[in-house]
Amino acid sequence: MHQLLALRWSLALYTALFIAFLYGPFVVMGILSFQQGPEGGPQFPIISWSTFWYEHVLGLAPPSRVAPLPIGEALTRSIALAFATMVVSTLLGTLTAEAFRRHFKGAGVIFYLVVLGMMVPGVLLGLGMALISDQLGIPRTWFGTAFVLHVVYTFPFAFLVMLAIFNRFDKSVEEASWALGVSPARTFRKVTFPMIFPGVLSAMLFAFTLSYDEFPRTLFTGGSEVTMPIAIYGTFAVEIHPNLFAFGVLTTLFSFALLTIYGVLMGISVRRARARVSGIQEEIA
Amino acid sequence: MEQAAPSVEAPRDTAAPVKERFFTRNKHFLLLAPGVLWMVLFLIIPLAMMVYVSFWTQTTFAIKPELTTKSWETFFSSDTYLGALVRTLRLWLTVLAITFIIGYPTALFIGQFVRNKTVQTVLLVACVIPFWTSFLIRVLAWRPMLGKEGAINIVLSDLGIISTPIESLLFTELSVVIGMVQIYVVFMVGPIAFMLARIDDALIESARDLGASAWTIFRKVIFPLSLPGVIVGAIFVSVMVLGEFATASALSGRKVNLLGNIILTQVGSLKWAFAAVAGVILTIVMAVVITGLLRVVNLRREL
Repeated sequence: MHQLLALRWSLALYTALFIAFLYGPFVVMGILSFQQGPEGGPQFPIISWSTFWYEHVLGLAPPSRVAPLPIGEALTRSIALAFATMVVSTLLGTLTAEAFRRHFKGAGVIFYLVVLGMMVPGVLLGLGMALISDQLGIPRTWFGTAFVLHVVYTFPFAFLVMLAIFNRFDKSVEEASWALGVSPARTFRKVTFPMIFPGVLSAMLFAFTLSYDEFPRTLFTGGSEVTMPIAIYGTFAVEIHPNLFAFGVLTTLFSFALLTIYGVLMGISVRRARARVSGIQEEIA
Repeated sequence: MEQAAPSVEAPRDTAAPVKERFFTRNKHFLLLAPGVLWMVLFLIIPLAMMVYVSFWTQTTFAIKPELTTKSWETFFSSDTYLGALVRTLRLWLTVLAITFIIGYPTALFIGQFVRNKTVQTVLLVACVIPFWTSFLIRVLAWRPMLGKEGAINIVLSDLGIISTPIESLLFTELSVVIGMVQIYVVFMVGPIAFMLARIDDALIESARDLGASAWTIFRKVIFPLSLPGVIVGAIFVSVMVLGEFATASALSGRKVNLLGNIILTQVGSLKWAFAAVAGVILTIVMAVVITGLLRVVNLRREL
């Protein structure tokens, strides 16, 4: 028993170290984002603490030799693209998962066809699409060629999430509603949708974040109007400055805001579902 | 049930029910069609195009649809390309092994030693949080860690472990391995922890009652039951590492060229046919790896 206890504590210590390893670069990045500007470089030691690079990212800093990040346009494109991808892939994912609620011939093939979309590396898909647009003379744009590949990438995630939801879904509730003469449309709105809503929300979150951060597919097919990841990649070739770190910290905060909204919506929907169940139980009693 | 409702009302009206019956009869098809069509158009056709173009004739600035195996011969007779293939495989195996070795103990702790579901979730979420930073920024964050005047060198020399900074940390294959392990190890931890958490406690208890030592229990009960998780994790890591190029170019100063980097530079110089050859080879490697991993465990039965 003592042995097991010792093992437990050493594993706990190991896990702490492991998490420190995951966060290490991020902490260093956070510290260096407060480097003095514009002379201070992206390394230690900190010359003096300042918020210069944050001002630089937000376009508030006086012009210097460091070119500003193309935040405005690139970020707008990224968010617009992620939003469109989110809507289309959640829709496709829900439709396809709905079809999978009944067994049908060729289900296995279609399942693998969809899942393939998340397995094929971005480089290959980006290359294939670039070849096609080159041969057919289709211009490469972030809202055309890149968008369709984003959906190919995120649709499987939405599909799997919805499939898991439908698997746990009690079909008799829907059938009861039909049997009581409620129209299919109303049943969907009042019964089905509230039950699958947490899944839809998760699928949307998956699709949005994956698309927002998508890089290889966009690099090959996005054309000259860059999205945010491509803009960051463009700075790799030249010297990097702490403004990228400040931007990294800001985007992470943005992600947290998004995650919080997701958490709050999820909490509300769970609470509502619970309230409804207890309400029904009271009525029955 | 679901077909019965509309057909009851069918005789009353003529125009609407025909339409409705069409929808109910083809409901399945209509639900599936958009997704399948999307995947065929934008996934299957591009990949098929890649295979097809790898046999086209490459001229200086363009490709012509005259079939030839010249690009393939060029690939296999060039040390640069073969070197990239070997390097990709070596890096993949290294990263896969390291993510497994350093990921398994963490998964074991989260999945088996933490009994509280909330703590389990908190720990897993803690592992996932770094993913909320942009992938490229995460890669970039390794530069101030690994550089000659980077955080690791500063800490090590302050502790008196080293007297001169280690220069081989950044812009080498080692830095690429470190960066990739940190980025992808969570994909190994997650599935393993999931499988470990599902193990029935009664199983372990009965093994203990029968007098099995902790090590025997791990070897005979816990590890075999976690194997599907290991395989799923290995598939995730493999797919991502084999298709990598950004980490390699950012942390090696473009010294480490993987197959992905080859594809990128070939496309940049409009050598479409060569890029396609490299792409097809990458696809084959990946297919072999995944099939091999799936041979180890029958996932459909285990999950």
